[in-house]
Amino acid sequence: MKYTSKIGTEEREFVIERTKDGLRARCGDTVHVLEMALVGDGQTFSLLVDGKSYDVVADVQREEVLLHMLGERFVVHVEDEREHAAHAVAGHKHGKRELRAAMPGIVVEVKAAEGDTVAEGQTLVVLEAMKMQNPLAAETAGKVVRVLCKQGEAVAAGALLMEME
Amino acid sequence: MPPIRRILVANRGEIALRVIRTAQEMGIETVAVYSDADRRSLHVRQATRAEYLGGSKPAESYLDIQKVVAAAKRTGCDALHPGYGFLSENEDAAQACIDAGIEFLGPPPKAILAMGDKVEARKIAMAAGVPLVPGLQEEVSEQRLVEAARQVGYPVMLKAAAGGGGKGIRIVREEKQLLEAFHMARAEARGAFGDDRVYLEKFVTRPRHVEIQVMADKHGNVVHYGERECSVQRRHQKLVEESPCSALTPELRAQMGKAACDLARAVGYVGAGTVEFLYSEGRFYFLEMNTRLQVEHPVTEMRYGVDLVREQIRVGQGETLTPVPEPRGHSIEVRVNAEDPETYFPSLGLISRINLPGGPGVRLDSALYRGLEVTPFYDSMLAKLVVHGVDREQAIARCVRALRELRIVGVATSLPTALRTLQSAEFRGGDYDTGILERIDKKPPAEKRDVALLAAAAAKFLVAEQAGARAAAAHLPGQATPRWSLLGRVDRMRRTNP
Repeated sequence: MKYTSKIGTEEREFVIERTKDGLRARCGDTVHVLEMALVGDGQTFSLLVDGKSYDVVADVQREEVLLHMLGERFVVHVEDEREHAAHAVAGHKHGKRELRAAMPGIVVEVKAAEGDTVAEGQTLVVLEAMKMQNPLAAETAGKVVRVLCKQGEAVAAGALLMEME
Repeated sequence: MPPIRRILVANRGEIALRVIRTAQEMGIETVAVYSDADRRSLHVRQATRAEYLGGSKPAESYLDIQKVVAAAKRTGCDALHPGYGFLSENEDAAQACIDAGIEFLGPPPKAILAMGDKVEARKIAMAAGVPLVPGLQEEVSEQRLVEAARQVGYPVMLKAAAGGGGKGIRIVREEKQLLEAFHMARAEARGAFGDDRVYLEKFVTRPRHVEIQVMADKHGNVVHYGERECSVQRRHQKLVEESPCSALTPELRAQMGKAACDLARAVGYVGAGTVEFLYSEGRFYFLEMNTRLQVEHPVTEMRYGVDLVREQIRVGQGETLTPVPEPRGHSIEVRVNAEDPETYFPSLGLISRINLPGGPGVRLDSALYRGLEVTPFYDSMLAKLVVHGVDREQAIARCVRALRELRIVGVATSLPTALRTLQSAEFRGGDYDTGILERIDKKPPAEKRDVALLAAAAAKFLVAEQAGARAAAAHLPGQATPRWSLLGRVDRMRRTNP
């Protein structure tokens, strides 16, 4: 299974597989041999990465993994393949500044023009689907560089509506 | 004076537990007091008796002098320990105890009053020959402000006369900022202390915060237990303390110790107290005196092998001070606050898991337990980790080791910040000042982030794998129908065919 792990803007892709010798994690050209044992309470893990030992408390809440290890506390956003694909379609793909239609529908309002500076959370497009008005908001602050939809237009799920930088 | 038999502990959290522990060792009974939020707290569970005070807001419980003293009388206490915070530096509380015939385990009201007013404290210190930061010994008015600042020389600092906890402090580097800063300091002082008097003094560059622990008995004896270095602060609140301070020579230490004892004598001090100094380039200046047992007192206890609460109780019983033991080795304390390490905002929540550190030279003072709810009503400090080593290097290594063992899950804490501080070259070098925390990374180092990215993915993989295995086990063909679903069928049949 492929995982995308993210802390802030830092991102890694891992392919984790169960082989007959144990767990294997590949990141680019690097392959790690993992051994992982759950300790009693269901959230504490003894993790061995190529034999190196880490004592980890991990609270896995869907895509958010709260980690305590090495004296630090990390909030790690982890998506598996399915979640990653779903987000890409929904226009939430991390790292890319694109606004995509989360569902098929009709563009009822375009609230930003090319060259506009927008704030995080600002509504950019209102999409009507199943008689509901769905505001699509900017995931991060930035500048709109391209608008690819217009009012009244019917769009498919995953259609690119805007590009930002 | 008869020995103390029962003490009311007028506090909560780790300090209440700290006092209860020593009292138990001395065979003295304890009465805990508690608010609505603290019914399940460890101090209530560990004390001999417990008395309900009132609502969770401090004003409805721990700050209500009448309620606290009434609880002490009702339960037949002969002494009251105020801890730190709450009523510990309140002269009315001390007086109320005296009036009720209860020994207040702290200084006389007169001494609390004199040292609590920062302007008054400076006057007394000056008269006692204790060095002061150049500045005005009294409240500064708007009319005299510009002239006074010029006289002292920039940069200057404006401080609330009734101050504490870093509120009402403004640093001014140029004359054009002066008036605005003055009004802000006054407004903040009024809001925090209900007293808008502000004084002005020279701002000392690269200052270190070094304080002396003193103890006085009722027979006129005053001793000191050396210094604590408390320069690792953010927003004027301490995070890491150590003893000894690497900057002090034996001569300076002796001078500061003598100055602190002189000041204690000058105000007729009794019990445990701390005289805070600014230290800069071989000189020290009086800051203020805290007329209570300090949060960081275990640093001194570990280095001197002494129990300061025991000494407080002995003094309260009218005994003379025990001789001060020879200090040995090096001691470090880390405060563990429930706070966001980047914003320092309090972090609230339920403590779902704790791993406590152990091993040689490690002490943990806390009132933590699994299931503790961190509420917005009280101070955010959860625990104090204190270590002792033969020298500074060993103490730092031990503290880093223990910090990695100590794990608190459920709220964000200051632990990562403390760890990075102790591992920083600046702290290790020993030559640091009160600005050190501004220079400590706010994020985990890259090599730790790398492992965390992998560990999180691996944890998610394992959780998914186990969920898959459970789901598969539940649907194995040929397996008997689970009993609960059989029961459900029987139940439905009964209902439809009575």
